[in-house]
Amino acid sequence: MNIARNFPLIIILMLFISAFSMPIMKSVRKIKAFGFVTMSISTILAGCNFLYVKTNGKFEYRVGHFDAPWGITFHIGYIEAIMGVLFTIVATLIIWYSFFSIDKEIKENRISLYYLLINILVGSLLGMVFTDDLFNAFVFLEVSTLAGCGIIVIKDKKDNITATFKYLVLSSLGSGLILMGIAFLYPITGHLNMSLIHESIMALKGAHRNILLISVSTFTVGLGVKSAMFPLHVWLPDAHASAPTSSSAILSGLVLKPPVILLMKILYKVFGFEIIGSFAILDVILILGSIGMIVGSIAAILQKEIKRMIAYSSVAQMGYVFFGIGLGNELGLIMAIFHIISHAVTKSTLFLVVGAMIEKTGSKKIKDLKGIGKEMPITLGVFTMGALSMVGIPIFPGFISKWNLALATIETGRYMFVGMILLSSLLNVGYYFPIVINGYFGEENLEGKVYKSKVMPMKRLIPVFILVGLMVMTGVFSLNIIDMIRQGLV
Amino acid sequence: MQSLILREVSKMIIPFIQIFGIYVIFFGHISPGGGFSGGTIIGVSLILYRIAHGKEVAMNKFKYNSLIRSLCGALIFYGILKGYSFITGGSGIHFPQLPLGTAGNIFSGGYLLPLNIAVGIIVSVTVYFLFALFYEGEI
Repeated sequence: MNIARNFPLIIILMLFISAFSMPIMKSVRKIKAFGFVTMSISTILAGCNFLYVKTNGKFEYRVGHFDAPWGITFHIGYIEAIMGVLFTIVATLIIWYSFFSIDKEIKENRISLYYLLINILVGSLLGMVFTDDLFNAFVFLEVSTLAGCGIIVIKDKKDNITATFKYLVLSSLGSGLILMGIAFLYPITGHLNMSLIHESIMALKGAHRNILLISVSTFTVGLGVKSAMFPLHVWLPDAHASAPTSSSAILSGLVLKPPVILLMKILYKVFGFEIIGSFAILDVILILGSIGMIVGSIAAILQKEIKRMIAYSSVAQMGYVFFGIGLGNELGLIMAIFHIISHAVTKSTLFLVVGAMIEKTGSKKIKDLKGIGKEMPITLGVFTMGALSMVGIPIFPGFISKWNLALATIETGRYMFVGMILLSSLLNVGYYFPIVINGYFGEENLEGKVYKSKVMPMKRLIPVFILVGLMVMTGVFSLNIIDMIRQGLV
Repeated sequence: MQSLILREVSKMIIPFIQIFGIYVIFFGHISPGGGFSGGTIIGVSLILYRIAHGKEVAMNKFKYNSLIRSLCGALIFYGILKGYSFITGGSGIHFPQLPLGTAGNIFSGGYLLPLNIAVGIIVSVTVYFLFALFYEGEI
């Protein structure tokens, strides 16, 4: 038995166990270093696991001493391995960035709690991706929700508490629906393991269709709340805008993603395309996704605070992911997963950069950021690259996903939705570019600004640079990534 | 709520509550009960102490630091023990496991007893923390 097979479980265990040694430590420096070291080790392990999957193919891992119907199993294929690397590497860079920003945003006695929550959060997100057991996924989902609430409310301001309460109530509703979905499936299939549920559903041969329909719709709505599907996104702007910078980056870059992956697994692995195709649930997801793309962008244009604008942009980008799932063909699904990767790296970069801008100018308003390009040229440059990726300029990953989503839409013959993608991209230009243009150009904007007066120290910029590098690499090597995702889908 | 009667009665009652809690934890794997229920019972005894003697005395007796240290220690112990069991089971390595013993004895059931004890510590401290936070706002 190869030792690399244990790595996914070791990552999760290590993150959970190390999280609880943080409150015992006294000095803040040690806590930060410990958080960074554990996350880096997880990155290395996830990388080894990825290489193992690349050479040996996908595998099932049995957790504990009991086999599938009784015990929990992990299913590690290409998609899971890629997500493992993505989550750990982005989390490592965000933790690195947070060394310099977190002291200014939360009280000193909360710092140990903050890194504890981040470790638990990333561990539970990875668990949700790796696991092959529905109920285990639900438990990890709950852990991630509570930890996510924790890293918002830790700032202890009035906004944070109201935003967290909203998030808590709505996502508890979502959790309840997911639990109901599992409860509807269990009596007719008798299993919690995803592959075994699929076999039992196939053996039903068309019986219990209504129960399956109820179950798949509660799953869709519940996981839609967690990952901000369009009409259920109301918690997201408040939560992401009021959280500390590094929390916003983690929430927007990582926390939204595993529920979507779980939804894909439930739709295509648990139920299977035959059943899903006969239910019209995919059309609902497609329509909600495309409305989300448009409405999220329009709402982002109307915002006056920059963090709220980026948060609404997340709603729009998650719309693309749901759009890809809803198309119901292979390319659409691949692009949904690819867009998850590209959005994770891009949006976390944007949030980190914007956090730095807010810290230096002392204002959250977009109108106060005029002429920032002269004061912080490198920072706004990084922001520009992220914005270009979001809008969809070639080389950057945003272009690849939008282009292929359009191709996938044409493949299904629904030409109207291509227009939706184009319209949404144009709207993206409408809210990202004014910031860039007003930042760099315009006589009256640059008046009285001193060149490089608010520039960030180099050590703070390194993690952001690495994130941007990752973003560009995702775009450049998109063909390889898409190829790997395609192999992972089978 | 500082009454003499409550204080005197609680002095007599708290040891019994705690012993009963420990009994529930230790017999969790061979009779109804376990770490969670036993931990709640012990936590109730801590809460009763706080109600009877007031905030200051209780905060002096149960210091935040020592409580959080025992909480985290129990969690780490649980994680390492269960993780060892998971990994040896999952990868099929035949490392030594805790013996199963004969059914009906206290020292039986493999990992259940130590895990129950760890859960008991975690739950008792958490229940006390929850009460202190919601009742008086500080631990």
